[in-house]
Amino acid sequence: MHQLDQRHVRIFYAASSLFLLTMTTVFACDNMGALWIAVEMTTLVSSPLVYFDRTKNAVEATWKYLIICSVGIAFALLGTTLIFASSQQALAGSGSMQITDLMRRASTLQYQWLHLGVIFCILGYGTKAGIFPLHNWLPDAHSEAPAPASAMLSGGLLNCALFAIFRITQIVVASDHRGLTIDIVIAMGAVTAIAASLMLLRQHSFKRMWAYSSIENVGIMLVAIGMGSGMLFFLQAANHSIAKVALFLVSGNVVQASGTKRLNALHGVLASSPVWGILLALGALSITGAPPFGMFVSELAILVAATNPGYWPVAVALLTALSISFVAISLHVGRVVCGAAKPGFASTGSQLASSLMPGLLMLCSLLLGLLIGPQVLGYLR
Amino acid sequence: MSLSSFDLLLSAIAITAIMMLGTTNIGTNLRLYALHSLLIAAATAWLGQTRHEPALFLVAAIFALVKAGFVPWFLNSIIRQVGGHSDSGAFIPTALSMPVGIALLGANNVLAQRLPTVINGDGGNIGETFALSLITTGMLLMLTRNIAVNQVIGFLVIENGIYLFSQTQTQGMPMALEMGILLDLLVAVMIAGILLFRIKKNFEHIDISKLTELKD
Repeated sequence: MHQLDQRHVRIFYAASSLFLLTMTTVFACDNMGALWIAVEMTTLVSSPLVYFDRTKNAVEATWKYLIICSVGIAFALLGTTLIFASSQQALAGSGSMQITDLMRRASTLQYQWLHLGVIFCILGYGTKAGIFPLHNWLPDAHSEAPAPASAMLSGGLLNCALFAIFRITQIVVASDHRGLTIDIVIAMGAVTAIAASLMLLRQHSFKRMWAYSSIENVGIMLVAIGMGSGMLFFLQAANHSIAKVALFLVSGNVVQASGTKRLNALHGVLASSPVWGILLALGALSITGAPPFGMFVSELAILVAATNPGYWPVAVALLTALSISFVAISLHVGRVVCGAAKPGFASTGSQLASSLMPGLLMLCSLLLGLLIGPQVLGYLR
Repeated sequence: MSLSSFDLLLSAIAITAIMMLGTTNIGTNLRLYALHSLLIAAATAWLGQTRHEPALFLVAAIFALVKAGFVPWFLNSIIRQVGGHSDSGAFIPTALSMPVGIALLGANNVLAQRLPTVINGDGGNIGETFALSLITTGMLLMLTRNIAVNQVIGFLVIENGIYLFSQTQTQGMPMALEMGILLDLLVAVMIAGILLFRIKKNFEHIDISKLTELKD
């Protein structure tokens, strides 16, 4: 257990406050350019968080994070420019960058520029959200960052990138040319979910496993966005964030106490620390979409929406992905939680105090499932 | 097809970018980048003149100050402290990457002809060709080079291409946004600079192709 450098801790807190500020800004932006600046800023101010440990691995992860996300986001800027150009052709003048304004005039926009722009935006912001072929940086950054930063990256940042995609696709949905672009978003979501669930099976590191589970959920949320359902996207995002933040916090404690991230070296958390063991098990149930929790409701609602005649391959893909990830996560977490207590398991500070936040979050997840669940399911019926 | 003086200026921008593909010396690369950014600033000022928009002169001045002045100077001072002046090249040999860049310029011209023409913008298809060429050149720089600084330079060239695209194909983005984008870029370069020191300290080199410790 090495002593934390006070200066590094100060930088960490300063950067995390700025990170929260920029993430909040993303949701407040109606201007496409401002949206882009805010999303790029989230990358910049969160890189000191990933870099916190100053180890070889942390530096490598930060470099990948900074470069891949910046280049990815650059393509979103190109897309933004293209959408702006499409509005100038339509309005024969200064054009507009306000998303609400563009949605109102969506049918008059030059559709070729618009489609090209939206595809670039999806690719750009998709890099930041970790869609399948562009996800390489995500497990590195999420596993090398300290647990509170991983929780923010996974629970907050992914939603920002997805929200940007949601806002941009809203313009296409409002125009008469929704077909192509919307199909691309749904297909990307389905492929991302399946690929991430397959990669979940062969994980060796505890925190990387949760990172891949985040990618899988990004896929599910992309499908919800593609189907044009903002409500399902928000519900799934809220449920995922609550459960994933709790899981990253508990996992961080477990990793710190046992001194290893490797899955095959971790066992017997329930015997060493019953509170953490129970929270891990509950969190795993929640993130895989087991019934009493909130995720079950939103995932079921997305699946029901995907059973529309045109979307049946998507429903099959999502069901496959959900089943595989359920098996993978249950298997890995089961091994970590059960078994004989690990010798040398030493937690610093009170286990109960560090379980307070994850415990409350699990309670929120449960309440979301129990209170909102019946209404959503009633609506679906 | 005859080229106007403005088109010639745009072609000079693309040519300086392609020249960057031909050298492995990072100092030369940075000088070419500075020249290339200065030419883009000149093109912006030119557009300010033809469109009678004095605000573009200010954008051009700040652009020149940041991208042709501060960024190359900052990266150069880092290179001097970190060491590693030349790059061995990676996936594509350096001798080949310049011809590939030129071929891509031709391909971009074909692509630009197929894209719908813009009514409002200055530069038309030629502007489109050169802006897209900058983006592909930047990507090529990032792909073919091993040294970490070159990845930053490649990223900056891509960014310049997008800027040139927005200047020639639209009536110009609002100035506040241009400044915000420039600020983002500046912060990105400075964070990358700090990280370069860290990479050097931890790995004793700044060769990206050897950063392979993290995998599943």
